[in-house]
Amino acid sequence: MTPQKRSHHRLKRAVAPYLYLSPSLIIISLLMLLPMVTVIGYSFQNSAVLRRDPSFAGLKHYQAIFADPVFWASLWHTLYFTCMSVVFHMTIGMIFALMLNSDRINPTLRNILRVLYILPWLFTAVIIAVIWRLLLEPNGVVNSILMQLGIIGSKVEWFSSPETALHAVTFANIWAGYPLFMVSLLAGLQGIPKDFYEAADIDGAKAYQKLIFITIPQLMPIIISISLLDFIWTMQVFPLIWITTGGGPIYSTEVLSTYTYKLAFSSYNLSQAAASAVIILLISLGLTLFYIRYQKAR
Amino acid sequence: MAEVILENICKTYGNNFHAIDQLNLSVEDGEFLILVGPSGCGKSTALRMIAGLEDVTSGSLRIGGVDVVDMPPKDRDIAMVFQSYALYPHMTVFENIAFSMRLAGKPKAERRKRVDEIAKTLQLTSLLDSKPANLSGGQRQRVAMGRAMVREPAAFLMDEPLSNLDAKLRVQMRAEITSLQKQLGVTTIYVTHDQTEAMTMGDRVAVLKGGVLQQVDTPKRLYESPVNAFVAGFIGSPSMNLFEATLTGDELTSGTFGVRLQDAAFVRRPGLRSYAGRKVVFGIRPEHLYDSSLESGRKYQTIPAKVTSIEELGSEHIVHLNIDAVRVDSGDPDAVEDYGLTSNAVAKFEPDSAVRSGSEIRLALDDSKLHFFDPETHLAI
Ligand SMILES: Nc1ncnc2c1ncn2[C@@H]1O[C@H](COP(=O)(O)OP(=O)(O)OP(=O)(O)O)[C@@H](O)[C@H]1O
Ligand SMILES: [Mg+2]
Repeated sequence: MTPQKRSHHRLKRAVAPYLYLSPSLIIISLLMLLPMVTVIGYSFQNSAVLRRDPSFAGLKHYQAIFADPVFWASLWHTLYFTCMSVVFHMTIGMIFALMLNSDRINPTLRNILRVLYILPWLFTAVIIAVIWRLLLEPNGVVNSILMQLGIIGSKVEWFSSPETALHAVTFANIWAGYPLFMVSLLAGLQGIPKDFYEAADIDGAKAYQKLIFITIPQLMPIIISISLLDFIWTMQVFPLIWITTGGGPIYSTEVLSTYTYKLAFSSYNLSQAAASAVIILLISLGLTLFYIRYQKAR
Repeated sequence: MAEVILENICKTYGNNFHAIDQLNLSVEDGEFLILVGPSGCGKSTALRMIAGLEDVTSGSLRIGGVDVVDMPPKDRDIAMVFQSYALYPHMTVFENIAFSMRLAGKPKAERRKRVDEIAKTLQLTSLLDSKPANLSGGQRQRVAMGRAMVREPAAFLMDEPLSNLDAKLRVQMRAEITSLQKQLGVTTIYVTHDQTEAMTMGDRVAVLKGGVLQQVDTPKRLYESPVNAFVAGFIGSPSMNLFEATLTGDELTSGTFGVRLQDAAFVRRPGLRSYAGRKVVFGIRPEHLYDSSLESGRKYQTIPAKVTSIEELGSEHIVHLNIDAVRVDSGDPDAVEDYGLTSNAVAKFEPDSAVRSGSEIRLALDDSKLHFFDPETHLAI
C-alpha cells in the first residue's frame, strides 16, 4: 500500500460512521431540534406566529407566566400527579410482579393474571380516559358500588368537583401506567439467581428480610431507571386529563401540559405558550440529564 | 456438631422422576464425607434434601439426633456452600459473611468481632470492604466458606464448591478446605463429581449412581476393594480396565492370551472357583500394568498388546493399548473418554519406558492386583 492510499483508507474509516449516522441525524434535526429552537425563539417574541414582523420581547412572557397563579397551581398539580403516579406505579407494579413471580400461585392462574394485569397497557390514553369517565360518572359503576358498600353516602362527582378531580385523574393515570413497572420488575425478578434465596433461607431470613436484603437491592437499577423514565413521561401527560376534566373544574386539574395548550389554542397567546413550553422542556431536560448521568454511572 | 443420619430416603420429583432411591447413610460427628457420582446421579438432590431446600418424599433424616424432615432449612443448624457461591453482589465481603448474624439481630460489635476472626482464618482481612465482583475465584470461594462458618453450624453442606475454579487453584483450595475441616471438626458432607477430590479430601466416600448408593467406605478401601464394576471404574484415574474372559482351571483366557492365577487369588475369593469354565469380568488398574522391558515389569506375566497412542506427562506415560479381549463398560459415563476408538486398555508406564506408538509389546500385569466381577450383576466376586 502506498502512503497515499493508506491515508485515503484512514479517511474513509474515519468518515464512515458519520455517514451511517447522517440519515438519523438529519431527521432528528428536522423533526426535533428545529421545532424546539423555533419554540424557544417564539418565547422571546411579541405576538409570535400571529404577526409577520414580531418584535423582541425579552423575558416578558416568562415574567407573565411566573406572575400567573394558574401557572403555579399547574406546576403543583403536575408535581402531585407525577409523584403520586410514579410512586404508585412502582408499588403496584412491584406487588403484581412479586405475585406473578411467586411459585406458590398455581401456574394457570398465574398466566391468567399475567394477561389481566397487563390489560391497561393495551389501551390508548383516549380509551382509558373514556373508560374512566364512564366508570366515575355520578351514575356510574364506581359510585353505585361504593354506595352499596356504604363507603360514601351520596353520589360523588369525581371528575367535576374540585376536591376530588385531581385525585380522580391521578387514580386513572395510576391504573393506566403500572404495567410498565410490572413487566420490567418481573423480568428483573426472573433474573435473580435462585440460590440467593436458598442461601438466605438457610441463614434464617424471613420473607420480608429477603425482600429488603435481596430482592429490592437486586432490582434497584431497574427501579431507578424506570422511575426516572416514568417521571419524565408522566410530567407530559396530556390526553388523559384533557379528555376527562380538561383541566377543570376551576383549574383544579390544570397541569403544565393543559395550561400550555390553553394558552396557545384558547387564548391564542402563542408567545406565552411557547415560554411555558420552554419551562416544561427545561424541567424535562434536567430530569433527562439526571437519567443519563445515572445510566453512565452504572 | 452432630451426626447426620439418612434412613431409606427416597425422592421423587413432580414429573415422577425417581432421583434418589432408598438412601441409607450415616455421617459421624466431625466426619468429612464425600458424596460422589457421575452427573445427574442425584448428589445435589441428596444434599438439598439434607439442607431442607428440597422436600423428602419418604424416609427419615436426623441431624444431631433431631428428626428434621419437616423442619425449614433455618432450623436445621446447617450451613451450605453453593457451587455458584451465591454471594450477594450488592454487599461487601464483610456484609456477606455477617449476613446471617444481621438476620439474627446480633449487635454490630459482635458481628465485627466474629467476622474479623473468620477473615483471619481465611486470609480475607484485607478484602472485607470489597464487593464480590472485585474478587478472584479463589477469594470468592473463601468468602462463601466464611459465610458458612460464621454461624458455627452442626454440619457443613457443600455442593461442588470447587468446580468453578481453574485446575491449579482447585488443588490449592482442596487442601485448604480439608485442613479447615480438620481444624473446625465440623461434620461435613461434600458433593463432587470429581473422583480426585473424593479420594484426596474425605474420611469416607459414598458413591452414588442413578440415585442408588453403591458403596460407602474409606478412599483406600474403595480403591482396593470396590463392591462392583461401577465403583471400580469410577474410582481411580485413569479408570480401571475391565474385560471379559473365561476362567479355565486356574487360567484366565481371552482370545490369544492367558493369565495364570495364583492360589492366593482363589483363597481370597472363595466364590471364584464356581466360575470355572464360565465367563467372568476381570479388572486391572492402569498403574498395575507395566512395561515388560523395564526392571519394574520383569517379575510379572505378560500378555501381547499393541500401543495405539502415548501421553507423556513427564512423571509418567499414559499408554493407550489394544489387547485381545472384549472391554466391559462399567456404567460410568465419564470413563468412555479414557478410551480412544482403537484402544481398549490404558496403562501407566514409568517415564523411561521406550515404547512407541504403533509397536507390538509384551504388557506385564501384576496378577495379585486383579479384580473379579460377575458378568451379569457386575458385583465383585
Ligand atoms: N426440580 C427437578 N424436577 C425434576 N427433575 C429434577 C429436578 N432436579 C433434578 N432433577 C433430576 O434429578 C436427577 C438428579 O439431579 P441432581 O441435580 O441431584 O444431579 P447431580 O448428581 O447433582 O448432577 P450434577 O453432577 O450434574 O450436578 C437428574 O436426572 C435431574 O434431571
Ligand atoms: Mg449437582
